[in-house]
Amino acid sequence: MADTPEAIKKSIRTYLFVGGILFLGTIITVLVATVPALDVGRHGFDKWDAILGLTIASIKASLVAFIFMHLNHEKKAVYWLFGSGLVMVWSLAGLTALALGDPIFDPLFYSGR
Amino acid sequence: MEIPYLVTPRKDTGLFNSKIAIWLFLASEVMLFGGFFSAYVFLRLGADYPWPERTLPVLPGLINTFVLIGSSVTVVFAWAALKMREWRKFQIFMGITVFCALIFMVLKGVEYNVKFHHQALRLKDFTVVEGHLGKEMEDGKPVLNHHGKEVEENLIYVEGSKLTFNTVRFYQPWVDELLTQAEHHHSKIIFTADLTATTKVGEPVEVIAKAGEALSNQMLSRLKEVHLAARSHNAAFRTEALREEWKVAKAENPGKRGWQIASGVNIDVEALAPKLLTEVPSVAFSVEPPVRFSFAPRDIREADGQSRLRDDTVVDGKLLDSPMVFHNIDAIDFQHLAMNAVKRGADPIAAIENSWLVKNDEFAREAWEWNKVQVAKIEKRLIDEYGLDEKTGKPNREPTLKERYRIGWKDLVAKSDGVDREKEMIKLKEEFLGPDYKGREDKETFPHLSVPREQIGFASKFTPAWNTFYALYFTITGLHGLHVIGGALVLAYYLFFGRKMYLENPEWLSNRVEVGGLFWHFVDLVWIFVFPILYLM
Repeated sequence: MADTPEAIKKSIRTYLFVGGILFLGTIITVLVATVPALDVGRHGFDKWDAILGLTIASIKASLVAFIFMHLNHEKKAVYWLFGSGLVMVWSLAGLTALALGDPIFDPLFYSGR
Repeated sequence: MEIPYLVTPRKDTGLFNSKIAIWLFLASEVMLFGGFFSAYVFLRLGADYPWPERTLPVLPGLINTFVLIGSSVTVVFAWAALKMREWRKFQIFMGITVFCALIFMVLKGVEYNVKFHHQALRLKDFTVVEGHLGKEMEDGKPVLNHHGKEVEENLIYVEGSKLTFNTVRFYQPWVDELLTQAEHHHSKIIFTADLTATTKVGEPVEVIAKAGEALSNQMLSRLKEVHLAARSHNAAFRTEALREEWKVAKAENPGKRGWQIASGVNIDVEALAPKLLTEVPSVAFSVEPPVRFSFAPRDIREADGQSRLRDDTVVDGKLLDSPMVFHNIDAIDFQHLAMNAVKRGADPIAAIENSWLVKNDEFAREAWEWNKVQVAKIEKRLIDEYGLDEKTGKPNREPTLKERYRIGWKDLVAKSDGVDREKEMIKLKEEFLGPDYKGREDKETFPHLSVPREQIGFASKFTPAWNTFYALYFTITGLHGLHVIGGALVLAYYLFFGRKMYLENPEWLSNRVEVGGLFWHFVDLVWIFVFPILYLM
């Protein structure tokens, strides 16, 4: 971790740079969603817009986590703690996703979009 | 005893206490928000109505994103300043961070407030109308309810000639309200005949309310006492009688089990009757002359002849014309109607043109015709730009369900300004507060609409009640907002009360700020997903 004053001074530039990328990422997300010419996939919102939007969001979120929250150089214990939280979410959401193959509601709704 | 590892890291983990604690907490937070996001995904995939896509105001959401990202940068700067022992810089950066939190919450508050006052209405045929209701007026002044608040033009009117109160469940403020309304129309709510009851065992029947006596809460409360006393007496009496019967039955049938003789054990109701008191579960009053009573829709289940209030008061009388009056409508949405038509194999366009709204409202008809022209223009543009599919001959890109069947407020602005829907211009103020009715009054952009009660399917403000999208929107953003408030309070504490600790043990304070900052980044991280998912998808 950047603990010495010199190291912190150096990392200030990184923080500013990451902040800039986050701003830019936000603008790109909004443009992709609102400007017709930048629309991916079918006209209007569809799965490709969702994939693109969430990819940008994930990149932004990773930047926040790795740079601002110092996850790029953390102690092992932190990775275990935070990682197990993520694994939990994904596995529980995955379990729920099993319900999609065995819907209790009208499966016709999936066919449309 | 001194607590170890407050400032210095523990050897094996390399972490000080609060750092390991915050990461444990953040892991639990990931699971909390992750749960809501997966709920969102599954509710959206399983929705049986057109999901409201890109329905929230983008500009306030975008500003809030910038504000949170900006504050994430400043909170790191504040921590770095503390590490380099620059108190003044720390103050400035932490001050900006807390101020950003304030801006965020103000914008969120404006957004929520607009939603809470925006009316949505789904007609029986699934046409959706949005807008604001008019206010009840009398002699040029707004009518106030018993909370002193203005009443919307969405009341149910009953020509009440008889009121029957449940003596246990009656709600005192509503009794007062009925009395006020009757008095306003110079009418009286009275007993038409003497009400008699036996209130003491062995004594003759007595009059507990005289003919001509007027309704009051005191009187209902008195009758409630009589009723409850009688009920408790009768219940005890009946139980006692039953117990006696069992004793006799057991003596007469030795060796038999209870269930074998149960059918023969009964109390002699007729013999018991003289010893019972009179129960008064409900009392009827006559309204002379009949009054045009008004009720809030949520308080009454209306029907011609006999309506019932939520406190079980029954109002006898004719159901009068009770329209829901939009002072301004700002969106007409046929998506749900069209979706239902397609589902049953019908032509959505025909279904829309046969809908109650298009058939009965001149403006809706005009707007629909305008919309058809606009959709044709979009179709043409899409074919020009993206061409036709070589195999099928169908256009590669087609207008969305929303473009085809929803005439939103921005579209209505374009219509009244006489421009194409893709070129509409709205005012900056409108981006935050929604349509400016007053400013666009002269062009009649947002007209009136009176909807008869029998056409109403479901009505609600834009609250969690409206649909699952809004339920999730308020849950997720509300929970996130609470995190913003919590985080800002902690950071503000370091800012305003951290000086002493800074002088005594600056490393400890910088550890604390680091931990508070970690939480703040997490709040930002959640918003990074909330914004595109709720506002842009």
